[in-house]
Amino acid sequence: MKLIAEFAKRVNASTFSFSDEFVLEEGGRYFLLNSPLSRYVQKGFFYAGIYLGKFKDGQFFPSFNLLSMLAKSGARSVTVDKKAAWLFVCSRDIFAKSIVTVHGSAKKGDTVLVLNQLGECLGFGRATLSMGSRAEPNQIAVKNLSDIGDFLRRER
Amino acid sequence: MSGKVFFKNRYSKLGWAFEETGQRQAIRINRTRVKDNDLPERMKKAGVTLEKIPFLENGYWVKGSTVSAGATAEYLLGLYSIQEAAAQIPATLFSDIKGKVILDACAAPGGKTVQLADLMDNDGAIIALDISKERIAALANHLERCRVSNTVVYRRDARTASDLHLQFDCILLDAPCSGNFASDSDWFRRRTLKDIERNAALQRAILAEVVTCVADDGEIVYSTCSLEPEENEMNMDWAIKHLNLEIEDTECKGEGGITKVFGRDLDASVEKCKRIWPGETQGFFVCKLRRRRRQ
Repeated sequence: MKLIAEFAKRVNASTFSFSDEFVLEEGGRYFLLNSPLSRYVQKGFFYAGIYLGKFKDGQFFPSFNLLSMLAKSGARSVTVDKKAAWLFVCSRDIFAKSIVTVHGSAKKGDTVLVLNQLGECLGFGRATLSMGSRAEPNQIAVKNLSDIGDFLRRER
Repeated sequence: MSGKVFFKNRYSKLGWAFEETGQRQAIRINRTRVKDNDLPERMKKAGVTLEKIPFLENGYWVKGSTVSAGATAEYLLGLYSIQEAAAQIPATLFSDIKGKVILDACAAPGGKTVQLADLMDNDGAIIALDISKERIAALANHLERCRVSNTVVYRRDARTASDLHLQFDCILLDAPCSGNFASDSDWFRRRTLKDIERNAALQRAILAEVVTCVADDGEIVYSTCSLEPEENEMNMDWAIKHLNLEIEDTECKGEGGITKVFGRDLDASVEKCKRIWPGETQGFFVCKLRRRRRQ
């Protein structure tokens, strides 16, 4: 739970919370359960409820479920245009010219969620410049750290 | 006893004139992820043209595409699943599943599990089992991608389902089967009658186990993508005679089950099953069973 709260803080998701009594850890993977579902979880389960992310090699990797929840909780994010949204899903970084809007303040080095123009969370990255500062159009503004294209890459 | 001629001859005896057929790609919209009916339009802009499948509420044929339907942002966001059209039928046959506790006995790779969760609005609980390590990882990915929240997955042989000590309102048994030639171009070369008999025995063993976990009056939907009566009508005939089950009427695409198989008469109620010969969909078989009250 602490790992999840720390990640929420990293993206400045100020209104994000859930009761930790329903967060389960199994082999470094974290799941959020509602009360009725928790009755069906027994020893040795493989997956349960909403997958929140995993802790591996000293680092927390948030799931796309968690990122979407954070996006709805006012997390720091950038909305990008259609072309950049697709390129981001293909592991590419975000150019400054592709950012349509910035939600919250983002300084160089901050973790930011990346949303498409329908408000759907596509992943997250690290700001490589301070949003609002003067930048060249083709300067990389957000370095891709994780995107939903991962669902395809995992199954290769 | 194998080969194309052997099996074509069997199908002929079952009343079907063999025809070569391919498989049309189909998708199913995840309604919990797409509230408005705007996905077909959105997909068109993404390069995938859809056509409504008349016999499915949320199913669409992929009519044309400039990109892979399995690699769009909409797919990765879980707005739809790629799911063969006939395979979309079984999950829709339960009477009422919202808020219920359901066993998906052989769940991976999870197309029907996600569909059940969608039909349940992520309410109630699904217990999904599969024995394969690789396939269960694909199942978990599928659940995560489609934002399913009411499912618990166990890596477990369905023949040990009762060890969970749970009772289910409904059970989906999409049984491991021999498949069919429409979805496997090498099918006639690989399959023998012995394989089919072995799979039929496995299906009976799973069915006999899961039936001990279903509540009185609970429903079991049994399905396979096999065309072979040993895995379908003959197993259902065995089930109603040995497992205190009865076959229910089902309203869905397909012909009635075959009640006279290679000279053997099956129970008349087997006709209530549905059999789909390959054509616009792959071959498929589905049967809805109800557990009679225990004495």
